[in-house]
Amino acid sequence: MTGHATHTNTQNPFRKRRRPFEALVKAALFASGALSIATTVGLVVVLTQQALLFFFDPQVSLGEFLTGTAWQPQLGAFGIWPLILATLITSAIAMFVALPLGLACAIYLSEYASARVRGTIKPILEVLAGIPTVVFGYFALNFMTPLLRNVFGDATVQIFNQASAGIVVGILIIPLVSSLAEDAIHAVPQSLREAAYGMGATRLEVSTRVVLPAALSGITAAFVVAISRAIGETMVVAIAAGAAPRNFAFGDDSMLGFIVNPFLSGETMTGHIVRISGGDISYASIDYTSIFAIGLTLFVMTLTLNSISRRFVARFRETYE
Amino acid sequence: MRKRFGHVIALLSVLALVLAACTATEATTTTGENRPPSTNTPGPDPITDDGIDAATGLPVIAPIDYSGDIVAMGSSTVFPLSEVVANEWIDEGGPNITIDSIGSGAGFERFCETGESDISNASRPIREEEVSSCESIGRIPIEFRVGTDALAITVSAKNYFATDITLAELAVLFSTAQTWQDVRAEWPAHPVAVFSPGTDSGTFDYFVEEVFDEDDAPILGSGAQFSEDDNVLVTGIAGDACTEGDASSTCAVGYFGFAYFVENEDVLTALSVEGVEPNAANVDAGAYPLSRPLFMYSDAGIMADKPQVAAFLTYYLNNVSRLIADVGYFPAPAADMQSGVDALKEYWDSAG
Amino acid sequence: MSAGPGLKLDVKDFSELFPQGEDLQRQVGSRRRKEGWAKYLFVFVLMLAIGALATLLYTIINSAFGITAVVNQVEPDELVAAAGYDPAITALEELTYDDLVGLLQVNVSNGAGRRLERERRFYEDRLVWESPEIFAELCSSSEPPTGCDSAPRGHSDLLQMVNERIVEPTVLDAWTLFDSVTRREAIELEILSAEYQEDNPGARPEFRAWLSWQFITSPQNPDPELAGVRTAILGTLWVIAITIVFAFPVGVAAAIYLEEYAKPNRLNRMIQTNINNLAGVPSIIYGMLGLAIFVRALEPLTSGAVLAGDAPHLVENGRTVLSAGITLGLLILPIVIIASQEAIRAVPNSLRAAGLALGATRWQTIRKHILPVALPGILTGSILATARAMGETAPLVVVGASTFIVQDPTGPFSKFTVLPIQIFQWTTRPQVGFQEIAAAAILVLLALLLTMNATAVILRNRYSRSFK
Repeated sequence: MTGHATHTNTQNPFRKRRRPFEALVKAALFASGALSIATTVGLVVVLTQQALLFFFDPQVSLGEFLTGTAWQPQLGAFGIWPLILATLITSAIAMFVALPLGLACAIYLSEYASARVRGTIKPILEVLAGIPTVVFGYFALNFMTPLLRNVFGDATVQIFNQASAGIVVGILIIPLVSSLAEDAIHAVPQSLREAAYGMGATRLEVSTRVVLPAALSGITAAFVVAISRAIGETMVVAIAAGAAPRNFAFGDDSMLGFIVNPFLSGETMTGHIVRISGGDISYASIDYTSIFAIGLTLFVMTLTLNSISRRFVARFRETYE
Repeated sequence: MRKRFGHVIALLSVLALVLAACTATEATTTTGENRPPSTNTPGPDPITDDGIDAATGLPVIAPIDYSGDIVAMGSSTVFPLSEVVANEWIDEGGPNITIDSIGSGAGFERFCETGESDISNASRPIREEEVSSCESIGRIPIEFRVGTDALAITVSAKNYFATDITLAELAVLFSTAQTWQDVRAEWPAHPVAVFSPGTDSGTFDYFVEEVFDEDDAPILGSGAQFSEDDNVLVTGIAGDACTEGDASSTCAVGYFGFAYFVENEDVLTALSVEGVEPNAANVDAGAYPLSRPLFMYSDAGIMADKPQVAAFLTYYLNNVSRLIADVGYFPAPAADMQSGVDALKEYWDSAG
Repeated sequence: MSAGPGLKLDVKDFSELFPQGEDLQRQVGSRRRKEGWAKYLFVFVLMLAIGALATLLYTIINSAFGITAVVNQVEPDELVAAAGYDPAITALEELTYDDLVGLLQVNVSNGAGRRLERERRFYEDRLVWESPEIFAELCSSSEPPTGCDSAPRGHSDLLQMVNERIVEPTVLDAWTLFDSVTRREAIELEILSAEYQEDNPGARPEFRAWLSWQFITSPQNPDPELAGVRTAILGTLWVIAITIVFAFPVGVAAAIYLEEYAKPNRLNRMIQTNINNLAGVPSIIYGMLGLAIFVRALEPLTSGAVLAGDAPHLVENGRTVLSAGITLGLLILPIVIIASQEAIRAVPNSLRAAGLALGATRWQTIRKHILPVALPGILTGSILATARAMGETAPLVVVGASTFIVQDPTGPFSKFTVLPIQIFQWTTRPQVGFQEIAAAAILVLLALLLTMNATAVILRNRYSRSFK
């Protein structure tokens, strides 16, 4: 067999040789990549299976699930909006904290700090990114909430509130935002900076007018990862934001005073899932299948968010070679 | 590249950890698992065989004579109690046991549907649908009453007016009341802030059953603040603004396991319910209205297959009333524990 | 960068485009001022971020150490008297070996005594608790207990036993480190005050480091004074080891495929999109996946039943180190892939071209040229991801880590618990001491993270050095 191959090779030196090992490597690498598809299929199947049980229950209607503003499984009310709203409020607050702080840290570290400062601070941020989120939960409850209550008054701020949870989730993802944004900034070619400095630009001008626009796609991607992380964050909101959905009714409740008031308690989608799955309820009950419907909604939400961001990134991406 | 000593130290500590891991693992393999076959058989132990437990009438168990795994799962309320008993069991050389604190519902699912646990801890009696799913995998749950957890109705230590409450007043307080005056006319008109364990906890279920006759709509509509973690509720109640003379200051009220009150007596006050003070004597006497039973469940088939499970349950019932105070619960009345004791007596009689 | 707005190409004199004289001075001055302010602002923001994180650390350390009010269950003097000595003359430490054994015999349960004796004998020539027949039978069996041939226990060992089991110092109250440092005397006076002593006779102040070597090496215990995190540390190490073994090779392989092999066709675009999406899926959902697939569907595999064959295996369900490790592996896989892709993409194309031009195959080029250069980047990303896996609580709650387990995990098929779950469990307990050991356990977890990151930094520096 080998002899034959050598023979044909001498016949035609330019013929492409078969390389079974290379093919094998490629196949193995492809399999690794395709595993992600299997994961997604697994996720969708697991979530949908149970979610269908939920939606086929006579107590539930899909329309109510998607539009209802009360989530009270005990009373047969399954409107997902209170949970979504709490998720959106805590995430929005988190991003309000994490984006400016994280981005400013990233700019400082990559454009201003000396190599030594950078070498010290970056690992600190990296380590802190690994603190269990449970710890942040108690930090929110025992430090942030009292702080907020001191500033805004006990009457305004409930002991469990979305603001405190949101701020702490924001703090929690600062290292993530800063690390990812810094990578993006780092990837901007040095020549761009040098050109701008050569024109007499100050460091601030280089950072904000040259580097940031050039790194925009990477920074956006970092933000989206951060938003997904904020939406998916579980333990902090479960501990500090409260453990009951805040049901509301349009028209009856005031918008700013109640519906989107961050100083009131509320329960996010993830908070609800973790509470039910660790709770005392029976697994055969509708409460239990409902968390898969919520999980599915969460999955679709993060999916949509990612798709939007990718569109955006693809549109504004700058490539350098 | 700069060299740093820190790296070397870090690497060394990793090595040390790995080494420690290896040695520790070896040590337990020889002491914990792989007990010699001669001690596998259940039954009377030559040294402690003088004994029948005085309180339960069950044989005194020598844990060291048993081997094999015991898997217990379920209620997070029962968990600390089982943990204390299991700790003594292991201290006396008993075989390996794991206890998962996952909630009563999840505990029953793993006991009755997947059949992966030997013992199910629960802070509520098993439900009918759970019994039937148990039966479909060939298990007939046997109930063991192990103790009692009392619910404390607490206000913050700053609260200067409330000392007692009736069940009817509780129903008002935890539903429609805006101010304390709405509950009882002689109380000042401080706004009410209500704290409750989460809707999926056994504590919530029990409270609703006792106070609202199983209808949870009123408390859900009350604007109560919920948390799954009782320490968090303590923080919430103790942190209220209740001040004498300032009628606009909020005074909080909440309920949770008595153990959490005992540990926080300096910042909380527990109210008497229906004129009965929450204390050990009243709970033991069955006079305190808000005390809830704690259970364990197992099955005769499991006990027959795994003698160590029967031994552990027997050991549990023999010792639980002595250890229960450590975790802040109360011993169950002997009469209520009797059915479990009888089931085990039957087992020991048939096992010889 | 295209030409800025307003730039007219036909101007002769460029100077008219720019400010001159005083205008220039003013403009430069204002730009410099802005620059100065900006720098302070950036430093301020950085300090704010680090300050928030430092506050967090402070609150943890603050409760991991501090003064405690301790009371003995039995006073050592009583024991000395019980052993027949005068407490005024003899201290507990001075009792003889025989006296200490005598104390233990009276105060320790028969079962515990037998276990201790099987672990290690008290006397060379006689047994205290165990019956000689059983002991002889055990020692001649195939797996004799360690007590059969080890040397007898020593005096200090017994003293520690008497102290832990009989004297049993119990913590009544704990103060924070901050209070302990700033108001040490006031606290001590409070503990010794008549009022406090009336409620808790014999209470004494004692500084306690909840984070101690004993805490790290002891197994779990419901008593916070005796509890330790050894089982949880080993559980975390085992799970993370599986996570790394699974996620790192698969992640890097997938990244290589996507960056070096994949043609931009529909399938590959789908894979890429899919990976990006998976990176945003909340961790708790992975927990649900792990429960359904690894714990339930693949139970024979993850419980070790397949490998063990007919031999009895360690646990009878799929809630093992392996299931948890792979679940966390799947969770961080997209992050590892994306980080590795970035690193591979950053390798200059010239390296690729050079390799291929010299006649190397594609795989040879990747292995010898691209991977070594990309490795530091890959490592950084992977380690960040692993650090995240280490602190995860929610998915492992769903997959089913045990809450109480004293046996150390011995392999992929063991039952286990992990540090974050241990921490979560402890924080919800009411009794004094649990909050403090939870804080100590957090510090242990942080130390593990630091060790991991330090290892990463070493590896990273090493590789980037040899290829620069």
